[in-house]
Amino acid sequence: MAQHGEADATADEHTGVEDGSARESALTGDALELSYPTSEEPVVECERIDIPRGEITALVGPNGSGKSTLLKSLAKQLSPDTGNVYLDGKSITEYDDKAFARELGLLSQQHDSPTSLTVEDLVYHGRYPHRSFFEQVNEDDHEAVERAIDLAGVEHIRDKQIGNLSGGQSQLAWIAMVLAQDTDVLLLDEPTTYLDLHHQLRVLETVRQLNEERGVTVAVVLHDIAQAARFADYLVAMQDGELYDWGPPREVVTEELLADVFRVEAAVNYTPDPEIVPKHSL
Amino acid sequence: MSGTTPTEQSSGSVLNRLFGWIDGSLVSLCLASLVVVVVGGLIQVSFGAFSMTIGEAWRAVFDPAVIFDPQVWQVFLLGGELPDLSRRTLIVWNIRLPRVFVAALVGANLAISGAIFQAVTRNELASPFILGVSSGAGLLILLTLVVFSGLAAYLPLLAALGGMFAFVLVYLIAWKNGTSPVRLVLAGVIVGTVFQSLQTGLFFFVDDIGVVQSAIAWTTGSLTGTDWEQVRMALPWSIIAIGLALGSSRQLNVLLLGEQTARSLGMSIEKVRFALSGVAVLAAAASIAVAGIVGFVGLVVPHLVRNVVGSDYKRLVVGCLFAGPALMVAADVGARLALNPVQLPVGVVTGLVGGPYFLYLMRKQQNIGEV
Repeated sequence: MAQHGEADATADEHTGVEDGSARESALTGDALELSYPTSEEPVVECERIDIPRGEITALVGPNGSGKSTLLKSLAKQLSPDTGNVYLDGKSITEYDDKAFARELGLLSQQHDSPTSLTVEDLVYHGRYPHRSFFEQVNEDDHEAVERAIDLAGVEHIRDKQIGNLSGGQSQLAWIAMVLAQDTDVLLLDEPTTYLDLHHQLRVLETVRQLNEERGVTVAVVLHDIAQAARFADYLVAMQDGELYDWGPPREVVTEELLADVFRVEAAVNYTPDPEIVPKHSL
Repeated sequence: MSGTTPTEQSSGSVLNRLFGWIDGSLVSLCLASLVVVVVGGLIQVSFGAFSMTIGEAWRAVFDPAVIFDPQVWQVFLLGGELPDLSRRTLIVWNIRLPRVFVAALVGANLAISGAIFQAVTRNELASPFILGVSSGAGLLILLTLVVFSGLAAYLPLLAALGGMFAFVLVYLIAWKNGTSPVRLVLAGVIVGTVFQSLQTGLFFFVDDIGVVQSAIAWTTGSLTGTDWEQVRMALPWSIIAIGLALGSSRQLNVLLLGEQTARSLGMSIEKVRFALSGVAVLAAAASIAVAGIVGFVGLVVPHLVRNVVGSDYKRLVVGCLFAGPALMVAADVGARLALNPVQLPVGVVTGLVGGPYFLYLMRKQQNIGEV
């Protein structure tokens, strides 16, 4: 386990580990042990995780491997038993709640809202960390909301009520809300699960656009490993609450990984996009 | 679109965000409520032991000797000796109207308190009394009347304090690395059950039927005998609570998005939840101090308003400010005049009206229970 004392000093200048390329980390988890009040054993033990600045990192792994738990602790939703998380080199416990939410946005897996809430009102809630307790909307809020609505492509449903939207449309509305938060780091927990292919691609395209145009650092939990390999710059593969491998998709997605982590015998071909073909039925 | 410059467009939109939420349903709800309050008030000032015609009553209401005399208002709002007024004016302005004002204040406070608690606990069945407030107030009322009868003059204050004490106790019980809506409600049930038993137990030590009646009037809620004194007692706290509730509507809306989303948006959720509960308890305490524990208003009114204007708290709080007084003033007409000359505690009437309305809601709505 890494020594705690060093973490402060090293978090700033830490570089990418396995492929050797120098990449500054936007978000770093150091010597994390995570558990829920109901669990006896730690759910996740992770010596080091880096989310490189300005890149898209996908967390993959089978159900129950601790991806969402790890993401929650990176987003300050779950405080670790031991270890620490650093955002821009500063421990996230030192951030005040609103200041943190101006730097890092999180879209959870499940969210509920009053059914009569309109999409536009939901997106305006994304401005919460930028406003003081009694403050009214100002020009900045308005612009950020318009940009988010435009980027997420929900202009045509902005006056509709959330309760009347399809799953894909409401997911895009929630993404627009996180975009209005206007953060440099964005964490998304399974944003494409339960969506049809069209909406899956819409969501990923929006995230990609945000990353390319505004340099937003993204960490996203994805279920489909082939999709993750096509979409992300880096993959983090998790198994049983530990990091299995980390690096560019081509290096991470191997037949060995599929066999070890997902217990699937499959061939991996790059054509040039990765293709995963099971060798036989399970 | 092409005719306006971008800045004009967007500042129009900011204005739109500031006032665009006021919609037809809210305006009609408020107007309808106002009509109920005015008609209820008219009935209240016209009928009673000293009878006068409606015309006479209204002339007394608009008596220029009162309306345009700052000195009279000063006496009403700050206390003191009234100057000479005609007999009718005196009865209307000093006896009958203050009761209507107190009813309106109590209704507004209870409705707002209930609306806040429904967001904080994310439970549509929450009322101002869900976190032990009523049982704490009730226990202190009984203790004061039965054991510490020397303190009876401070009864309103003690009742309010009892409610606040119970609320703090509920919070302490529910706290375990933070709270959650479910734990708060359960702690409220625990404290409520114990205090309720103590309260019922105390009744056995009362031999005087007058004390029993007084205790029942306080614990079911009554406006009998209220005058400007009660207005003076409740008004400052009501203004503070209502102001804070109006200003907090956005916080309440964000709470409705769920704890996780609220936290990821940077809300310090424990602080906000405690502060908002504090506002709700303040509103409830102000109404307890002048009218005792009036049931059902705080539960039913936010429901009714939500049915009409939707769950946006900007609209909901404003709607409650009008609909609460309407229900309370109307119920008090029944309480005062239905069995004339006997006056019922107004809490009996709100229960009788609120229960069936709730039944109607339950049968009509599929998804009752969702905020």
